[in-house]
Amino acid sequence: MSAAPSAPVSGRTYTCHWCGTVSDGTSLSCPACGATINVKDIVTPTGWIELPGRKDMAKLQIGNSSCQIEGLYVPVADFNLAPGDSVYFAHHVLLWKENSVNVSMMSMKGAWKRAFAGMPIFMTQAAGPGHIAFSRDLPGELLALPLQPGHSVDVREHFLLAATSQVDYGWTNSNIWFTTKNGDETETHYPIGMMLDRFTASKMPGLLLLHASGNVFVRQLNPGQSILIKPTALIFKDPTVSIQLHFEHPNSGWNPWMSYIQRYLWLRVTGPGRIAIQSAFEPVEDNGRNITSHSPATRQNW
Amino acid sequence: MAQPSQSVTDEVERLKCNWCQGMNLKTALSCQFCGAPLDLADVVSESGWREAPRLKDMTEFHFYNSTCQVEGEIVPVAEINLAQGDGVYFEHHVMLWKDPTVPMSVLQLPGGMKRVLAGMPFIISVAQGPGRVAFSRDATGELVVLPLHPGMELDVREHAFLLASKNVAYSFERIKGLRNILFGGQGMYMDRFVTTNQSGLLILHGYGNVFERTLKPGESILVEPGAFLYKDSTVQMNVQMQQLTTGLFGGTAMSLAQMTGPGRVGIQSMYVHHSTE
Repeated sequence: MSAAPSAPVSGRTYTCHWCGTVSDGTSLSCPACGATINVKDIVTPTGWIELPGRKDMAKLQIGNSSCQIEGLYVPVADFNLAPGDSVYFAHHVLLWKENSVNVSMMSMKGAWKRAFAGMPIFMTQAAGPGHIAFSRDLPGELLALPLQPGHSVDVREHFLLAATSQVDYGWTNSNIWFTTKNGDETETHYPIGMMLDRFTASKMPGLLLLHASGNVFVRQLNPGQSILIKPTALIFKDPTVSIQLHFEHPNSGWNPWMSYIQRYLWLRVTGPGRIAIQSAFEPVEDNGRNITSHSPATRQNW
Repeated sequence: MAQPSQSVTDEVERLKCNWCQGMNLKTALSCQFCGAPLDLADVVSESGWREAPRLKDMTEFHFYNSTCQVEGEIVPVAEINLAQGDGVYFEHHVMLWKDPTVPMSVLQLPGGMKRVLAGMPFIISVAQGPGRVAFSRDATGELVVLPLHPGMELDVREHAFLLASKNVAYSFERIKGLRNILFGGQGMYMDRFVTTNQSGLLILHGYGNVFERTLKPGESILVEPGAFLYKDSTVQMNVQMQQLTTGLFGGTAMSLAQMTGPGRVGIQSMYVHHSTE
């Protein structure tokens, strides 16, 4: 596949603020990720960049294949696969397909560990020629992440919508956990899951499509810069970004015991690199019982 | 040849709505029969799916002597201003508010026991004019306004209809074939809406975004069963099993609904089965 974006013409270039792809800027949207061209990035005073607006029916070019993003509330990724091109996906996101598209199983490495961690052990693979479309069952946004050779991204599990076959699908331990004890009962909690999906474009450029709930915000962290986010809001991070737990105990005035038993559970993310969060996220699993052990963490008692 | 005067031209020239084929005044911005914007081009994907018209907030359209105003865009509300003698029927849980003076009754349905066994609504409520009554569902989505011309038959996923005008006949169609029932994701029955001599109005609520495609005779497409929203009765629906095999675990199978034309097929992009269904 030659996934190189369209070559700049007539000396004019436009660098996409979202994915960094250089194009001639004559289209309405970036040919690699679909972000609207020539709009001002919406950046909060704290540095979060809102996912750039994407026009309905924006089209992404991936070598000889293309992907059109349709709809605004629950967007659909409609791939037009060229002969020989393929994408993989979790089978429950398939919306429709043409008869000519061949669907098969793609086995994964580390199947037992993945099954134990609640991650999918099989991916479904679709090969062109023909159209095939995917969507999730939640209102939200599609993130198109073009990956250049040698680049990786760590994604929280179950966010994958589809990826082109040039993207390798692996995993890494999240190393974010804590255990609580109640009598003889010990429970281990994984606030961002036991593992993170790791997508890598090893030799060829590829495209990764994620679906997040609500709105998506991205932030570039400087080396050593650190912020606290809700663990379930994390979508993806660069592998260079480190993560660990952070426990925060509020000041409850005269009663230090109350301060001890009330806690906020955070994920501390430290740069350098990008992180992305979603605005609609599920509550963090925390039964409030005594924490007996945990992965490396920081603590703040107010 | 003398040019016709402006007023005569306005009376003769009409704008045809591409969604419902209704004829509108040349100056209209939205279709008076379905509310579809007339000043915007159709949004069609390269693969041939057309987006259901995105109804502008507060768009108003007419049926008989009554009007319907669409309010909101994320979870839109259909507010009906019923004229004397007009009426609409609906499943009672989609009613959002009503004027106290709007009389309510119950539609007499054939096949009551079958409907109960199939999990279909046993009681369909009817609101009669005059007065206002409003409807909405409990999820992000779009209203699909389908004016039915005389002699049309439309099959709709059960619980997907928001309301229908009282002159649209309401029945149900049993899904044929045990495999289609077990793996089709639709249950045993589909709602069937039929117009005979009169036209009528049918409004559906689709989860997420709604897309429509017109299949040619013999043309077929495979659709996730939970995404099916509606189809012309001429479209055949059958379950096709996709075998996904692996050497180690033996594999599994995935069921898809094969739709074969001729006729229209509508799908929704968010196909979760909500608990309120």
